[in-house]
Amino acid sequence: MEKFLLLNKSVFFPEEGILAIGDLHLGYEKMLKTSGFEFPINQIKETKQELEKIFLEIKKQKFKLKKIVILGDLKHHFNFEVEEKFEIRKLLSFLEESVSRENIIILKGNHEKINFREAEYKDYFVEKTVAFTHGDKLFPKILDKKIKTIVMGHLHPAVLIHDPKSHKKEKYKCFLVGKWKGKTAIVLPSFLQIIEGTDIRSESARHKDNNFLIIPRKNLLKFKVFIPDKTGKVFEFPKLERIN
Amino acid sequence: MTEITLAQERKKIDIEAVLHPFVKEWFFSKFLDFSLPQKYGVLAIHEKKNILISAPTGGTKTLTAFLAILNQLVTLAEKKQLEDKVYAIYCSPLKALSNDIHKNLIEPLEQIKKIAESHEIKLQEIRVGLRTGDTTQSEKAKMARKAPHILITTPESLAIVLTSKKFVESFQGVEYCILDEIHSLGNKRGVHLSLSLERLNEITKKVPAKIGLSATVEPLEEVAKYLVGIDDKRKVEIAKIPFTKEIDIQVLTPVENLLEEPNPYIPMYHLINDLVKEHKTTLIFTNTRSATERVVNYLKDKFPTEYGDHNIAAHHSSLSKDSRFDVEERLRRGDLKVVVCSTSLELGIDIGYIDLVLLLGSPKASSRALQRIGRAGHRLHEVAKGRFIVSDLDDLVECSVIQKEMIEGKIDKITFPKNCLDVLSQQIYGMAIHKVWDSEEMLKTIRKSYCYHELTKDDFLSIISYLSGEYDLEKSHVYGKIWYDKETKQIGKRGKMARVIYMTNVGTIPDESFITVKMQGGEQIGFMDESFLSRMKKGDVFVLGGKKYMYLYTKGMNLYVKSEIKRPPSIPSWVSESLPLAFESAMEINRLRQLIKEKFSQNKSKKEIIELIKEHMYLNEKIAKEIYQYFYQQYKFSEFPDEKLITVEKYYDTKEKKNYLLVNSMYGRRVNDALSRAIGYLMGLTGGRDIEMGISDRGFYFAGEIMHLDKALKYLNENNLEETLKEAIEKTDILTRRFRHCATRSLMILRNYKGTKSVKKQQMKSHFLIAAVKKISKEFPILKEAKREVLEDLMDLGNAKRVLGQISEGKIKIKIFEANIPSPFALGLLIQGHMDLLKMEDKQAFLKRMHEIYTEEIQKKAFGISYENKSVEELYKDL
Repeated sequence: MEKFLLLNKSVFFPEEGILAIGDLHLGYEKMLKTSGFEFPINQIKETKQELEKIFLEIKKQKFKLKKIVILGDLKHHFNFEVEEKFEIRKLLSFLEESVSRENIIILKGNHEKINFREAEYKDYFVEKTVAFTHGDKLFPKILDKKIKTIVMGHLHPAVLIHDPKSHKKEKYKCFLVGKWKGKTAIVLPSFLQIIEGTDIRSESARHKDNNFLIIPRKNLLKFKVFIPDKTGKVFEFPKLERIN
Repeated sequence: MTEITLAQERKKIDIEAVLHPFVKEWFFSKFLDFSLPQKYGVLAIHEKKNILISAPTGGTKTLTAFLAILNQLVTLAEKKQLEDKVYAIYCSPLKALSNDIHKNLIEPLEQIKKIAESHEIKLQEIRVGLRTGDTTQSEKAKMARKAPHILITTPESLAIVLTSKKFVESFQGVEYCILDEIHSLGNKRGVHLSLSLERLNEITKKVPAKIGLSATVEPLEEVAKYLVGIDDKRKVEIAKIPFTKEIDIQVLTPVENLLEEPNPYIPMYHLINDLVKEHKTTLIFTNTRSATERVVNYLKDKFPTEYGDHNIAAHHSSLSKDSRFDVEERLRRGDLKVVVCSTSLELGIDIGYIDLVLLLGSPKASSRALQRIGRAGHRLHEVAKGRFIVSDLDDLVECSVIQKEMIEGKIDKITFPKNCLDVLSQQIYGMAIHKVWDSEEMLKTIRKSYCYHELTKDDFLSIISYLSGEYDLEKSHVYGKIWYDKETKQIGKRGKMARVIYMTNVGTIPDESFITVKMQGGEQIGFMDESFLSRMKKGDVFVLGGKKYMYLYTKGMNLYVKSEIKRPPSIPSWVSESLPLAFESAMEINRLRQLIKEKFSQNKSKKEIIELIKEHMYLNEKIAKEIYQYFYQQYKFSEFPDEKLITVEKYYDTKEKKNYLLVNSMYGRRVNDALSRAIGYLMGLTGGRDIEMGISDRGFYFAGEIMHLDKALKYLNENNLEETLKEAIEKTDILTRRFRHCATRSLMILRNYKGTKSVKKQQMKSHFLIAAVKKISKEFPILKEAKREVLEDLMDLGNAKRVLGQISEGKIKIKIFEANIPSPFALGLLIQGHMDLLKMEDKQAFLKRMHEIYTEEIQKKAFGISYENKSVEELYKDL
């Protein structure tokens, strides 16, 4: 089993020097705007700022960042949007300040229906014993015997926490970490702040089975929950099924 | 300043003198004499004076307003001088207008036409146009081609037509503008309308005469100013028509003694049944939608031979439009014996003959009580019969005081929100769509509205900045709706879609997300708050519209259900919909307490005091005795709070192991909300942790471990209350919720855009939105407005300041003492307060606390080790 660190909404493998980040959905802001939500979210700026903090933390812990894996759904629109293309270009040049272009690996998500020239998409990526994939489709290679850890996004996991004493309920983005097919699986929350995500235990999530994660719901219920807070600190919680 | 005078009652002969012969003939074929409102109003309107007519429901107000106008139009029509333009606009906040208009306008017009024909005169056609949200496209187009002489509309539709070129042209000669139901406009809808009126004044060549129609309302001077706006040249007359309808009201209790039987639910239903049987048609008000369902359900269950779907029905705003129309229609036809409603039948529309109104639970304000009881015997001179049915002692005191206020004609005050920046942005957008403005001229027009008379230039400019996209620091995205040229000081609209966006998003009523409840076959039953749905599971049985349904499944925004369920329901309890007690009524209760306390301290005899209560409160022996006993118990048992004294009981609950601070402050929930949040916040700053609080009309409480009440009280005063509250509400749910409403009103969130309602919008959490605007500016105008709305509209900052002022002056004393058991007054507070838990901690703190709870649990079971980013391997031993 590989050693890994949960940093804010990302996961870092110190030995390999790989940082994986979940669904970014660049272009989401534009989508909101076209559907009448005129809020200046400054998505690209916010994303950069959060990534900067993560890079800084890696440095602080005396590790070296060698590769960045984007776990799919880098873009939001299924069709072509100019604005989105510009944003992807901006983000990639930002990442290139930290690692070279060939060390930025972009995986294909279900939102990557068309490809931009700016990026080359892979279905999955393997480094030593760790496999990375979006999570909507299963590729036999990632189940290879030598693979010990699988990292994915796609699900946008969140957890609804309920305090029966104060009747208060709040939802948090979370990591789900557990065993699947004899390997350690890590499901990352969406990186984009304004997509809160779904608690797979909720009634509405039960009906969305056709685009679910490759890991079945019943397995995920046995996964442990980790919640990053606003400052990037990660809190450990019990298994999903044991949370109120 | 606007000049206000009292209207004069005019002589019949003088009114007759100005009426056209046909109109006069028609009028006296229908009525024997002019009604009181007509004697005050008709001539004044004829003389094109501004007038506010305040009269109880069931008056002849609508016809009063129309009579002089009809008279003028008929005179012109006879001379064939009627032009193709709008002469009069009638604006009412009610949507279901057609019935009223038919009776008061269409019928008279047809009959006058017949009279003219009998004199062998053919009148020019007088056109009436109805323009509401339901008007079809073809009807709108027809109206735009040929202007109606009288336009009937709602506040929202009026704002829309003011941006339409064709209508604006035909509006230039408007001579009259009638505003109906003004008493229901003490909210943002009213604020919105006040700006539309100034926009209308600006368009017309001569400012139209304003005719305001209102139920009994106070203070009339302020309402009159609202009607005509603020300007040196403007004058307005006030006609206050007294309540000529006799009112027969009584407070009833279902049992002998409420002190001994505090939860008399079963006897209450028997009492209701008895009263219903003695009358022809009964209307029951319950205050809440859930109680409406409960009452209908219980009556049907308990008295199956008396009540069934054919003669009893529920009416509330969560039911579908069709269901509500159906109930109203059956009520008018006299098919129903009982209708139970929340508050939905308080207003306007003619609902036929009702001979008894029952109020279950306190109506919380005398104006509301009058309005409700006025629904009985709808014609002006019939007796309005109403009964308060009370089921606990606090309710008993409250209803008795409200009854006293009604008898003595003391009406709680209506207030119009001031300087609302969200409504302002919407209206400025509308103004910019109409034409290019000079910014000074625009501000001058806005300041003529009563609601914006004191608008600061800074606030005005901040809205202009917001609308013109100046706040957007990242230049890549342009959010501007208007352009503002700083050189020429001109303002105009931006974008081709402007009018469409405006038309489809106009209005001030917040869009709550509702789930549509449907039968499996697809038939629509009603609506349910989305938040309620999250608390339900498959197979749950709930009640809607008085019938039981079972939750089957949800699909999108629809909830599919099955009917005819035998199992008992889990009745919906909608959140925070209870009405707050009017400050005036609360103060009246304080005065009553004061009066009785004096008598107690003078050792007056029981008999003497009961006599005093009877006389002072217009009550019968039985009720007076109950009040006496309740007050006497408090007096003997503990400190007695009153007009000059707030008491705080420090109480330790041994069962819950919690410290309580029970504050007896009878100021109504809106004031208590402000006071308690400020104090709670300050106690949090001075070391209090996880303080739980509850508020009610009669006081508030805190529970927790460490609570430095003395420190908080020492700090808090009338000067720092506002600042303290602004900080206190910063992270609360209530602010984020209100902010979302304000963002929608100010068109930051478009409900409708390019013809689609995006589902994604539902997922956008309000706290993200707040975080986004805070990054732009801490003083972002729409966030400022959300805070104002919470402090001034939801809470009552003004009166809370007044109370704190009296505390610093020493007029009100605060007495803090230890109590082994909560006093009788505080007990009700404690029980009721629990229903209204407030969220004091933010998301971050909540996360930490829950983490601690789970960690503790985990450690107890030796389940894992605390996670510190270090020993990851160890963590997964259990996986």
